[in-house]
Amino acid sequence: MKNNFRFINNLFVVIFFYSVVNLHSQPQWKREETNDNIPLMLFHSTHVINMPTTETLQKGDLEFEVSHRFVPTIQNGIKNMFGFDGPANIKLGLSYGITDNLLLGLNRTNVNDNYELFIKHRFIEVEDSDLPFVIGVKTSVALNSEVLGKKTFASENFQYYLTIIFNTMYEKKIALGFVPSLLINSYLPGINKNYSIIFGTYLQYYLSPSFSLATEWSPTFYGIRNKYNSLSFGFELETGGHFFKIILTNNQNLNLSQFLGGADIPSTFDNWRIGFNITRLLKL
Amino acid sequence: MINDKFYRILILIFILLFSIKINANEYVVKKTKNNLVKFISEAPVENFDGVTNNIDGYLYFEENFAKNSQLYFEVDLNTVDTGIGLRNRHMRENYLETDKYRYAIFSGKIISYNKINEKEFDVNLNGEMKIHGVTKNVSLTGKIFLVGNELNIKSKFSVKLSDYNIEIPKLMFMKINEEIKLELDFFMMENKK
Repeated sequence: MKNNFRFINNLFVVIFFYSVVNLHSQPQWKREETNDNIPLMLFHSTHVINMPTTETLQKGDLEFEVSHRFVPTIQNGIKNMFGFDGPANIKLGLSYGITDNLLLGLNRTNVNDNYELFIKHRFIEVEDSDLPFVIGVKTSVALNSEVLGKKTFASENFQYYLTIIFNTMYEKKIALGFVPSLLINSYLPGINKNYSIIFGTYLQYYLSPSFSLATEWSPTFYGIRNKYNSLSFGFELETGGHFFKIILTNNQNLNLSQFLGGADIPSTFDNWRIGFNITRLLKL
Repeated sequence: MINDKFYRILILIFILLFSIKINANEYVVKKTKNNLVKFISEAPVENFDGVTNNIDGYLYFEENFAKNSQLYFEVDLNTVDTGIGLRNRHMRENYLETDKYRYAIFSGKIISYNKINEKEFDVNLNGEMKIHGVTKNVSLTGKIFLVGNELNIKSKFSVKLSDYNIEIPKLMFMKINEEIKLELDFFMMENKK
């Protein structure tokens, strides 16, 4: 009986050792849980129609853009092909991702031969499933190098703007932006130095990963501007390396320094102008 | 008394027998920038590849590579870089759906190996590949190089996107080949734990 007890006791010891040894001989590797390391991306494009989003480019990426705004409105109909007969305002833009959060770019339009040098930086990112948001800033100096009756580098030809960009997204479908902006020399024909404060707003609705609808409403809150506030609607098609945007707008301008200054015609139904943006992303 | 001694000896033998298992080897992936996992899509118009060095996992075996071997490797698909930020985003969100299926996983064992020389071995693997939530049985081949105390693992194989229910984008200017070639080249070190 005593021996029996010992045997059972010893058996336990054996089982114990066996399990320890066996445990030891199992792979010990464990996954180190890490964050997903993905930047919070709300909008897809660096700008919706004209107004900037907080999106920047991945470090080393290059974005090339060609955009048109046809000056004649659609109200003349087929007579000038709804504006396609021209004339057209044209923008060529090049942006480069210095870091994942810092963007440097140069834009050129044929309106007053405008050069716009800008930087954009996204600096606050809150990943919250209910209310994710990103805050960024875009600032620029622009030169209108050919203004009628003025010398190329006349100080009135320079424009400066500062925009603070707030972006959020609802249900991964509806992206919203609010862009309070200060524009110096908002009205170029003005004789005195002038400025304006604009509350840019926009909404983009993502129908699918590739298709979305967008609208922008950018009222001037204070200061001197062109006659009317800008209203735009757009349709966006995206392919992973390209953006195609077809636009209806009352504002014929492209570079933000010019666009923020306001529109020359009201945003009524027969005043729409057709435009498009085409963007190509490249790796430098 | 005799009985007692007998049991003690028996126990000792048991312990010694099981202790041999401690000789098992476990290697884990060394976290280094030299690790490379490359996805290659070859298409008529545009080749592109996705690269990451974010591979992790272990290789376990006893005495030799094929004995009681277990291996497990996972690649963090969130970290695959195709060169263009927006393309990475498309890949993550629309095709690989990494919010649901973050890791591509291979788990299996070495079924046989062939010693080429003291530092080089060919291995045949059998196991399960899990990508995009779909698990498939696969057989792979690889090479193990002994580099000092470390192992350098190399393998090349290809996966069919349709096998893993990964949709191939229809609307795009960047064509993706249905068959993606994979190249792995990474380092493992002994697990000190």
